[in-house]
Amino acid sequence: MAENFAQHSNISAADLDRLTREAQAEATPSTARIIWNEFKADRPALISLFVVVGFILFVMVGALFIDTPKMMETNIVNYFNRPLTAGFPLGADAGGRSILLELIVGSRNSIGIALGLTVISSTFGICWGLISGYFSGYVDWGMQRVYDFMMMLPMTMMIIVLVTIIPHYNAVTLTLIFSIFYWEGTSRLIRSRTLAESGKDYAAASLTSGTNRWKIIFRDIMPNISSLIIVDTTLSFAENIGVETGLSYLGFGLPSQTPSLGTMIANANDPNNITQYWWTWLPAALEIIILCLAISYIGQVLRRAADASQRQGTAD
Amino acid sequence: MSLIEIKDLKVHYPIRSGFWNRVTDSVKAVDGITFNIEAGETYGLVGESGSGKSTTGKSVVGLEKVTSGSILYQGKDITQRRNRQLLDYNRDVQMIFQDSLSSLNPRKRIEDIIAEPLRNFEHLTKDQEKLRVLQLLDIVGLDADALYKYPHQFSGGQRQRIGVARAVATNPKLIIADEPVSALDLSVQAQVLNFMKKIQRDFGISYLFISHDLGVVRHMCTNIAIMNRGRLVEVGTRDDIYNHPLHIYTKRLLAAIPDVNVSERAAHRAMRQKVEQIYQSNRHDYYDDTGEAYPLVQVSPTHSVALPPELAHQLLAQESEAQD
Repeated sequence: MAENFAQHSNISAADLDRLTREAQAEATPSTARIIWNEFKADRPALISLFVVVGFILFVMVGALFIDTPKMMETNIVNYFNRPLTAGFPLGADAGGRSILLELIVGSRNSIGIALGLTVISSTFGICWGLISGYFSGYVDWGMQRVYDFMMMLPMTMMIIVLVTIIPHYNAVTLTLIFSIFYWEGTSRLIRSRTLAESGKDYAAASLTSGTNRWKIIFRDIMPNISSLIIVDTTLSFAENIGVETGLSYLGFGLPSQTPSLGTMIANANDPNNITQYWWTWLPAALEIIILCLAISYIGQVLRRAADASQRQGTAD
Repeated sequence: MSLIEIKDLKVHYPIRSGFWNRVTDSVKAVDGITFNIEAGETYGLVGESGSGKSTTGKSVVGLEKVTSGSILYQGKDITQRRNRQLLDYNRDVQMIFQDSLSSLNPRKRIEDIIAEPLRNFEHLTKDQEKLRVLQLLDIVGLDADALYKYPHQFSGGQRQRIGVARAVATNPKLIIADEPVSALDLSVQAQVLNFMKKIQRDFGISYLFISHDLGVVRHMCTNIAIMNRGRLVEVGTRDDIYNHPLHIYTKRLLAAIPDVNVSERAAHRAMRQKVEQIYQSNRHDYYDDTGEAYPLVQVSPTHSVALPPELAHQLLAQESEAQD
């Protein structure tokens, strides 16, 4: 059969290298290249990217050098030390613990939980939505009833109950508990787009080209809704920082001896702290605001990169 | 033996309604059609929108779930998925889609699109595969620099060529062409049709050519079937259909072909009105009480029409009189 093609075309194996080079010269830039161009065109987003990545790396690495149990020991001598005193750049809290060190370890914990939660819940939600949307029929029906049931459960109450009945919980179990409840929104969003995409001819063309259905779902349809996935994941990361923080603030998140952004903001429960000892809660609050803002800037750039009509970056 | 034999094919879609969501009725997209496609021929399937011609095409390529009936290929009924897999059916039967943009994955480069059937059905080395893709691009008249581009960077005609290149990649025996040129402008239509014919000669491919454009069908097809409301109303050679149409639906379709000759405008108009008048007054002769077409009766070795036998022969006699 190969002869059959060779016979009707002027191209032979000898031309392969030359033509490949020609084609590469004309190649369209890759997705990564487009995203990078888009970041370069948007200064605030570029700064946000460096701030977010730099900060996450800093707290992840920095926390490794801090001896948490020792740091969390109460030392009455340093009771509410003011910022910029010796050994306490950001001051100390009611237990005489350094706010700076608590902030580093707390950020590590909170961001770690948010990252873990985003990875687990988004992966699960995306798979659920893709499979449900592509197969339709009874599979879709069954999967959507499970979804409806999960949506019906009062989320915050269930988390609080689970946290109370699990005897020794830590950051990992907390992440898993959150993950049970945070995949639904993503899955519905992905399903609706999958329904539209799987009706398009290219999915049918892949099927007649002999491609396996699972491969069509994850290699053909998923890349086509990648813009939605990227944006949804980025924004839900920003949201997920708030999830742990909110629950810790209420006292049902991480145990109190484990520092987190939520437990630090919980210092603001005390009116005295709000007025006199502002340094106990303000850094954590500012950090959350800055992080969430920066992440949403990044999300916007990614969305623009995915949609050719909104692009601002120029190809070089 | 024919390349592919379609026997009493039915595709019905259920209509659900009521509190219990029971099946109360069905839409008969394809309602019992039978025809054979011979090796190397172009078989035309013509009809108005919604007459079930695309559904027939999708059933033949295996994209549509068939309600009943059979499609025999190499003696096996390929309406069953297991048989399709056993035969590597889609290696031999491929499809060209109407909408060239949506039939090419916008996230894939042309090389990956054309190589997709090769990767699934033929296990070539990387260099052999790339060489084959380049040859295919050359056959459909595109340059090698298309290799690493994306579908949206091409014009409609070029995209349809890429769709043809993908369909030809595994050297299939039958290609279902579902209105391959109806989304293209006229000059590009001619280009695409001509190289489809060239490919047919070079590779000995059969086409099932689905179209509502009778001019295009006349250019491409040797045998033609006219489809109306899910049933075949007339089957015959090009000459049978264009010069000796018997069913009123065929006559109406033929009367609808636009003619640019201005000097005979009045005559054409009178002819169209005459056909329409016959349709309005004699409609009950051509369709049964429920408004469906009759079963096909053979009036000559190549020509069949969906009419009661007496009426068919009466019309045939009239037709031959008119010829003399």
